Amino acid sequence: MEFDAIIGCAVLAGALVALVALTVWCRRRIQHIARSTGRSARELERSLRGE
Amino acid sequence: MSEPTSASGSPAVHGELSRDLKLHHIVMMGLGMMIGAGVFVGIGLSVRGAGPGGLMLTFGLNGLIALFTAMSFAELSSAIPRAGGAYNYARIGFGRGASFIAGWTEWFASSLAGAFYAIVFAHYTLDFINAAFNLGMGADLRMGLEKALALVAAVSFIYVNYRGSSETGKLGAIFTALQMLFVVGIGVAGLVTLAKHPGRLANFKPFLTDASWPALLGTMGVIYVAFEGFEVIAQAGDETVNPKRNLPKAMLYSVLIVTVTYLTVALASVVAVHGIGGQSLSAYAEGIEANQGSFFKEAVQKLLPFGGVLVTLAVIFSATSALNATIYSATRASFALGRDGMLPTSFAKIHPRRKTPFVALAFTAVIVLTATTLLNPEHGAAAASMMFLCLFFMVNLCVIRIRLHMSDELEYGFLMPLFPLFPVLAIGCQVALAGGIFGESVPAFAVAAVWVPTGALIYLLYSRRRVPAADHEIQVLEDAPEPRGDEYRIMVSVANPANALEMVRTTYKIGGAKDARVQLLHMVPVPPQVALSDARKYMTEGREGIMETMLYLEPIFPIATTIRYCRNIARGIVSAVREKKTDLLILGWHGRKRGHTFRLGSTIDPIIERSPCSVVVLKDCGGNRTFNRVLVPVSGGPNSPYALEIASMLAETDGQVTALTIARPGQDPMDLDEFLTEHAYRLPAEHPPIRPQVVESNDVGGAILAEAADYDLVVLGCTREPLLQQVTRTSLPELIAQRCQTPLAMVKDSGGLRSWLQRWL
Repeated sequence: MEFDAIIGCAVLAGALVALVALTVWCRRRIQHIARSTGRSARELERSLRGE
Repeated sequence: MSEPTSASGSPAVHGELSRDLKLHHIVMMGLGMMIGAGVFVGIGLSVRGAGPGGLMLTFGLNGLIALFTAMSFAELSSAIPRAGGAYNYARIGFGRGASFIAGWTEWFASSLAGAFYAIVFAHYTLDFINAAFNLGMGADLRMGLEKALALVAAVSFIYVNYRGSSETGKLGAIFTALQMLFVVGIGVAGLVTLAKHPGRLANFKPFLTDASWPALLGTMGVIYVAFEGFEVIAQAGDETVNPKRNLPKAMLYSVLIVTVTYLTVALASVVAVHGIGGQSLSAYAEGIEANQGSFFKEAVQKLLPFGGVLVTLAVIFSATSALNATIYSATRASFALGRDGMLPTSFAKIHPRRKTPFVALAFTAVIVLTATTLLNPEHGAAAASMMFLCLFFMVNLCVIRIRLHMSDELEYGFLMPLFPLFPVLAIGCQVALAGGIFGESVPAFAVAAVWVPTGALIYLLYSRRRVPAADHEIQVLEDAPEPRGDEYRIMVSVANPANALEMVRTTYKIGGAKDARVQLLHMVPVPPQVALSDARKYMTEGREGIMETMLYLEPIFPIATTIRYCRNIARGIVSAVREKKTDLLILGWHGRKRGHTFRLGSTIDPIIERSPCSVVVLKDCGGNRTFNRVLVPVSGGPNSPYALEIASMLAETDGQVTALTIARPGQDPMDLDEFLTEHAYRLPAEHPPIRPQVVESNDVGGAILAEAADYDLVVLGCTREPLLQQVTRTSLPELIAQRCQTPLAMVKDSGGLRSWLQRWL
């Protein structure tokens, strides 16, 4: 297998994993924020850290 | 609360759109805008330019970059869920100049996208006619006919927009569903083919073309337009059920779905090809497209029965629908600029019978028709991509700015993780993609390089004078003239007479040491329920405080005063600090903390974090206190040297300053002598002696508090930078500040590069 293909497949797989993981992570944060009582960024960040 | 009234004095009637769009509706809206001609043209272009592997990477990486920007849009739309999108965010984040550029860019980007879709429509329609009737047109004739047909298509949809009829939501949803069905069908057929013929993976050899990775950047830049469309979801904020939750979800889901769909279709188009001898796939695609053919169409023909006809119909439908939507969107952008006075008000003229903005549409038509005439599909796609990159670049800046300056005032439905990593990454990637476009299409780059500065020039020469500043929430009630010269500038925030007197002595000491000019500031907080015109009723108390302070300080320093009202005190003070180019801000603190979210308080925390200047916060420093014995706990942090400097100014010259460090048992203490020698240059010419002291203890906070009891004043450096604060839970300086019974001053230094960046951003 050529070198470019190995690197390319790794980059593509990384991009796909990052894409899915970020979407799932963001979705979880949206759900958490919807449940939390805080509203400003500072309050929400704190509550997300304590999750 | 008084009833809102119209200009004529009669009660205003507010219309409200019904909220009936659910999550799946707005996801479909985003998909409908994204899945279109971009991907059909992009596949052939990417295979030719970057090879089959490059094709997969183009869509995969562009999807990730689009997700970074989608996260910015998602956060902003969750906090500001109103129609307006980038134009609105730029206005809130950076004011009228940036919002003009955003609207100006959006106008042109949508117009160029319209031209691109018209060209694609003409290309595929002519291809269909040519094949159906076997006309065998020559290249020159075909090119001429293609231009003519593209112009006819553009004129037709300009007329449709002039008539005011637009495709209904239902018809749009059906078109989108059909397109999705078609592309998913291709993807599934590709996967089935791959399962049957795994040897077709050999089509990926060579993975990239000879031009390799730089060519990949070029194709990524040109094809980026295929990911444009998710931002349209923000426009549905007024009509969406639970917009704070559903808008961000819809943006993220639509980018994920579209990326996976594009990748599957790209894979299908690679594995569909067979029987091309030893030829590489990129050479095969080059051969097809050199003869005015389409690689994607050829591939789908090999994959599905009637594939060629289906591709042609799908492209015609998607290009038609996108052409209509982009002309509408471009007209609305220029109409908004005219309505807000940033372009001549004739742009906002509505046709009396058709009820459409016909002047804005006429100017949009000029751009669309010119671009259709001059650009070929690739340059058209590249130019539209370039303009959208500019727009997204601005939105990524906006999300950083708004989070840094207004995050305590907005109600967020979504906060992106690891802020500000993703907007910064997005900005970096967008710059790289713009570089890639420059390599692929110089005309596209030139178009953006001319259009954006032209916009800036129009704004400076025309729009700026006609539009009021966007600072609706801070209004100057009384203001002294701007001080001239390079003197050190101290701003004292006066909340009330008691607080004013508390700060007189400190200001006197620091002002004397720095030979400073003093500005007294009183911010009048006005609750949102109170009309702005009633703000003057709140001025009396602030004026009393200022008068009291002036009584003491005016004979000593040149003093100016300013009284402003604002919705949020922290933002008002930070805004005044920037405007007056203040070097040091002094404010008082009552010493009580409300809630667990803030370290010192909901007003003090944002001021300390966001002020680009040095800050001194005083607790219990009022009365006729003299500070003979001053304690400075030193840990080597960024604010310790400044704490020492302020302590030596506040202490009596015949008093003493103690620099204290706490060492844990068995550990080497910090070298205080070296610290004092290193920072001796910061101390005033006449200062009290400074004594180093080391105490051994496991309980750092307890040891400092115990020592503090024997002193007249404690001067403490603030904790580390806000970005790091987000990942730390406890903060010792703020804990000491809350518990300390001795008068206390917390200080923060202006901080060099960070301060410069803050001023700029």
